[in-house]
Amino acid sequence: MPYGWGEHTGELELWVTASSEAGVFVEALGAMAELLGDEDGEPGVAAARSVAVEGADRARLLVGWLEELAFLAETEGFVPVRAEELQLLPGGLQARVAGFRGAPPHLVKAVTLHRLAFERCAEGWHARVVLDV
Amino acid sequence: MELRRVGELLWEAEPGERTDLRVPARVYADAELLEAIRDDDSLVQLQNVATLPGIVDAALAMPDIHAGYGFPVGAVAATELPDGVVSPGGVGYDINCGVRLLALPIAARELGKRKEKLVHEIARRAPAGAGREGGVALRGGQLDAVLRDGPRVLAERHGIGTPEDVAHTESEGRLEGADPREVSERARTRGSTQLGTMGSGNHFVELGRVERVLEPEAAADFGLREGQVTALIHSGSRGLGHQVCTDFVKRMDASLHRYGISLPDRQLSCAPASSPEGRAYLAAMAAAANFAWANRHALAHAVRQAVRTVLGASVAAGTAQVYDVAHNVAKPERHGGRDVLVHRKGATRAFPGQAVFIPGSMGTASWVLVGRPGAMEHSFGTVCHGAGRQLSRTAARKRIGGAELRAQLEAAGITVRCASNKGLAEEAPFAYKSVDRVVEVVERAGLAARVAELRPIGVVKG
Repeated sequence: MPYGWGEHTGELELWVTASSEAGVFVEALGAMAELLGDEDGEPGVAAARSVAVEGADRARLLVGWLEELAFLAETEGFVPVRAEELQLLPGGLQARVAGFRGAPPHLVKAVTLHRLAFERCAEGWHARVVLDV
Repeated sequence: MELRRVGELLWEAEPGERTDLRVPARVYADAELLEAIRDDDSLVQLQNVATLPGIVDAALAMPDIHAGYGFPVGAVAATELPDGVVSPGGVGYDINCGVRLLALPIAARELGKRKEKLVHEIARRAPAGAGREGGVALRGGQLDAVLRDGPRVLAERHGIGTPEDVAHTESEGRLEGADPREVSERARTRGSTQLGTMGSGNHFVELGRVERVLEPEAAADFGLREGQVTALIHSGSRGLGHQVCTDFVKRMDASLHRYGISLPDRQLSCAPASSPEGRAYLAAMAAAANFAWANRHALAHAVRQAVRTVLGASVAAGTAQVYDVAHNVAKPERHGGRDVLVHRKGATRAFPGQAVFIPGSMGTASWVLVGRPGAMEHSFGTVCHGAGRQLSRTAARKRIGGAELRAQLEAAGITVRCASNKGLAEEAPFAYKSVDRVVEVVERAGLAARVAELRPIGVVKG
């Protein structure tokens, strides 16, 4: 499974495994799409957003990426569906995110540094991040 | 983890091989609660708190402690001023998340069929969930004024709530030193349309009935009597506070090396309270705290409007605010002859004579307590903040569906309004510890006394 949810008493712990570093970011978007998608599954008007994020390392970049998606959901009702043209750069990333305007029911309020990890594994790359919900 | 009993209801986590603890890590609990507490990482997290530079006496946990991120939820840590650290994670993302209690001049038995209408009307007027719209719109400098001065701005300039409400609020709804300039544009964007909105997760407005009074004198002081209808409001600083915390966790994480601070968990990132980063955070946190008080003030106004619509103007006019308490904040206070910064993360200030509200978990009781001198002697004037989670959200959803839980609560006489079945199931009563037991521990430890038990009759969930 490319992503999943670990047990955490109060919050949500997300883990992601992918064959490449960029794949981790793509799969993490899929996890956010699951959280932010409308409960009744009815997509709204199609939309897309350009996202640029900076981070001192890949772990911090992943936090910034998820923070940006949460911000767009909270302030614009933008529900991400897939990453297009995701490009990892030294110290940053640029992406075009396709999705729709909806009413995200279960917002991610913050992305924490607790137990944050982004490291190599047998399958490629593994990341872990705890979301405040 | 090994625990050593250091008091009838106080336990100390043995450091084991850890050499980085500056003070002991101690938890208030009875044997049964202790078993639940040991099920997650909360005691390790409490020991991590005990490593913070400048921490004094002990890293303390209340009986509702559960694992959080960085700090556990239900923790108290005091750092000596001026150079002890301030940790944004020790306050939490939802800065000044807290609880406000209103007392209605009407008995629950008098509500009859109007109860359902009242719950519905509150749900209509107190927007829940994502909350991008429906609140009090703030333009231009109005947001700055709220960030600087809190709910008194709403009462004096916008006709929302009353000066009496402000007077019956912890710190009168205004922390000194708030500086709106330290609140980022991103935080302002998130908060600008959210004033007067409840939010999601465990936030709620709960209608209750005073089931029994245990301390008649204190109850009379608080304006509570048996059978009376109450409204308990649980919300915080919404996206604005979350963004302030996010901004400063990031900023302090980047400055740790400058102050020679090494931490076991990056989410504990901190800086000396006297440093530029520390002072800037305290100014931004105070602004977010003022925003949160204004938010609950606006929500209380919405509840009064609903009361006016359903029960009439005289009942609305007689709806009094008992008090409002914060449970995620850091405040400079004097304890034990020292000036300290008390971080309360999921913990409530409980000065002697002060009202404290401990919400239950939808189907269970909530409690009104009064602070006792023992809190000043033993816990930096602090008690618990709730029942404390014991099941993860996923585990709660596996055990019950939202529709089934809704039916169970309705069968128990509790009217429920919650847009999300998933969100409702995550907050099922069994996901929490026994609030009665938590409150009993706090009372037996001499930190606070039980004043009144509230039983839910209606819930609007965020």
